[in-house]
Amino acid sequence: MATGSVPLKVMVVEDDQSFRGSFTAAIAAAEDMHLHAVAENVAQAMALLDGPAADILVVDLGLPDGSGIEVIRAAHGAWPECGIMVSTTFADDRHVIPSIEAGAAGYLLKDSSQSRMADDIRTLHSGGSPISPRIARKILMRFMPPNRLPVANRQPILSPREQQALELITKGFSYDEIAELMGVTRNTVMTFVRRIYQKLEVSSKAEAIFEARSHGLL
Amino acid sequence: MAFYKLLWRYLAALGIVIAAAVVLHLITQPSGIHLTEAELAVESTVGYQPPPAMVDPAALAGPWAPVALPNAAMPKLALSQQGIGREPDTQVTWYRATLPLAVSPADKGYLYIPRWKSDGTLAVYIDGRLQYQSHANLQWNGSNRPLRIALDVTEGVAPFSSIVIRLQHVRGIGGALSSLWVGNFDEVGPAYMVRNFFAAELSYLTGAAFLASGVFSLLVWFGRRQERLYLLFFLMSAATFIRGLHNHLGLERLPIDDQWFGWLTVNSTMWMVAVSHLFLISVLHVRARWITAIVGGATLAMGLATLPLLEGALDPTLTAPFAYAAAFIVCNLVGISSIRAAWRQRSMEGLVLAVWVLLTAYLGINELLLQNNLISIEGYFILPFVQVALVFAFFHIVMARYLKAMDTIEQSNALLGEQLAAREAELVASHERVREVEQRELLFHERQRLTEDMHDGLGSSLLGALRMVERGRLDEAELKQILQGCIDDLKLTIDSLEPVETDLLLLLGTLRFRLEPRLESTGIKLNWNVRDVPPVSWLDHRYALHILRVVQEAFTNIIKHAGATEATVSTGVVAGDIVVSVADNGKGFDTTAPRTGRGLANQTRRASAMRAKLTVESGPTGTKLTLLLPIRQLGEGVAAQ
Repeated sequence: MATGSVPLKVMVVEDDQSFRGSFTAAIAAAEDMHLHAVAENVAQAMALLDGPAADILVVDLGLPDGSGIEVIRAAHGAWPECGIMVSTTFADDRHVIPSIEAGAAGYLLKDSSQSRMADDIRTLHSGGSPISPRIARKILMRFMPPNRLPVANRQPILSPREQQALELITKGFSYDEIAELMGVTRNTVMTFVRRIYQKLEVSSKAEAIFEARSHGLL
Repeated sequence: MAFYKLLWRYLAALGIVIAAAVVLHLITQPSGIHLTEAELAVESTVGYQPPPAMVDPAALAGPWAPVALPNAAMPKLALSQQGIGREPDTQVTWYRATLPLAVSPADKGYLYIPRWKSDGTLAVYIDGRLQYQSHANLQWNGSNRPLRIALDVTEGVAPFSSIVIRLQHVRGIGGALSSLWVGNFDEVGPAYMVRNFFAAELSYLTGAAFLASGVFSLLVWFGRRQERLYLLFFLMSAATFIRGLHNHLGLERLPIDDQWFGWLTVNSTMWMVAVSHLFLISVLHVRARWITAIVGGATLAMGLATLPLLEGALDPTLTAPFAYAAAFIVCNLVGISSIRAAWRQRSMEGLVLAVWVLLTAYLGINELLLQNNLISIEGYFILPFVQVALVFAFFHIVMARYLKAMDTIEQSNALLGEQLAAREAELVASHERVREVEQRELLFHERQRLTEDMHDGLGSSLLGALRMVERGRLDEAELKQILQGCIDDLKLTIDSLEPVETDLLLLLGTLRFRLEPRLESTGIKLNWNVRDVPPVSWLDHRYALHILRVVQEAFTNIIKHAGATEATVSTGVVAGDIVVSVADNGKGFDTTAPRTGRGLANQTRRASAMRAKLTVESGPTGTKLTLLLPIRQLGEGVAAQ
């Protein structure tokens, strides 16, 4: 992993001082990472988006002057190459799914150990996204054909393999187990999930356009 | 009262129309040469002969007598038969008039005759040459229609001064001529048009309009047979239309012969009276049996007596005066009786209609006088105009009914709508109440569940940590482990709030997702050996948390006490039960020893709350906890927790 090449530039947006502290410590401890910038609220984060891009952006949702979702959306537009993670205590779908729809590629559990945090960041940077069974279930329901008919022509659909991977995730299987069950590599499974997240983002946009259109806004 | 307002409005409209008609008449008075004097000669004939092509006005046989125009002989009321095969007794009446000055047809090209009566034929000679000849039925020949004869204007046409008119008609009746006008188009054209409109076309137009609405009314009646008024309205319109025919037909030869046309025309008077009677008693809801019998009898008798099918039937045209007299009497009867009934009932619309019917009877006197040449034949028949007003009275009554019916429908619809809305509101309110109760119950259970859970789990863990810190027996690693455990507890509590939709594997998957980091950090390998299981219909928030806690406790025991390197979670179905088991390869423990108590006791309590069976087998090669969950719950008894 740490090949001595250019370290990952990591930026964090977090208003809680203690988490900020343990997070910066985790980055400092990782040789292959470098703390690019720190923001404590939406305004600071937005200002930083005008500057040079980070490789990884970790965003807390409950910020004092607004929602981290705004930051995720803006960062996704400003830094298309940046891997965005939402930091969360519970990884509950009510927080994670809107973040993914806004452009996040994964999440970071706040109670993880420092080394685990660093690992999660590396995984995300190398194209793998984490997913919980419950989020997998929510995404499956979101792509269920009957509900999607009105916007079907604009909606991305899940491939059978992606669908199968999601179903296995809801049953609690790990990436390694799924890779074995499906006869692919762990990397492939992780790219499935990343692709599914991208489709979720596209479909939420299509849905927003459809909604706007049906309300006469477009 | 609304009725009077309406009546005045009708009368005002009527007044305006009459005033407009009078003004129109006054401004279109004919001008030019007005001939009001002529000479008359009469010769008796039998049958009808064609008129000669030329006459010499001076040489025509007399004796000539000077007469004033309009001129009409007093008709003899004779029932003389004109039987089949016998030529009728006729006469030729000659009128000879001379212009004060000879005029050229090029200057004064029109002869305007406001009215003529023949009951026969008409021929007009200008300076002895035949200029115009009637081509109509003998009796019904449009005597109501004014004549406007365009004189021949030929090259070098000579001025003329003599007009001779030959009428050949039944001896004793017919034969009358109004004054004559000679002028250019501007002088006599407008007068002709106005007279033609009022004497003939108006009655045709209103009759046709009345008939059209009558057909509509008939269609309404087809749909609503019990509403007799709609049928009577149609019959009235039909009778009025037939009665009006003679006013505008007749200048051309008719497709039916005089007897039939006369039968229709004369009898339709009686039909109108009869239908008016039926309409009135229907509006007034009276029976009037005697009058109905008289009216019906008279109508039937007259119709049959004049029916041209029968040998020896009376000629309807010749007997018209008698028929009209009979109609006058019946009309009086109907009018007066209806006025009385309407007055008693204070039915204003009935009263107006009855008065109007009676009025037609008395205005009919004018018609009788005019028809029998007792007053100037240049007058108008009034009844066609009166009938226009009568048509409006009928319109008013039937339309009032129709509108009232529509109103009633609207009102009852509105009432129904209101009732429905009230019912809906009640239903919504009661639903709302039921939902409120359910919501309250749900909240209560949820609160109870969370309280218990906090008490057993998070609360007791934190309390234990507090006691140990107080006694100073806690190092940093232990504290971290306890806090991590608390966070895990909290995560599972939050997970249990999410809908699980009967999916046991999703529940276990979530548990793995939560607890695996801790297993990993202790170096224990987790084997995930789950098989698909059927949906668990009873898996609600409460039971979900029970299952989570039981399995969590098992994991905790493995991490804390078992000293295992591997743990296996498996699911399956055995004999109608869903099996969930957690096994390890640790050192095992004595399941009967009292110190293992609390964790196992909690697990057992939770299992029995779900009506599930919990077994723990432990030996030197490991421990296996098995939870047997029924696929279907019996419902009652389980909820009481």
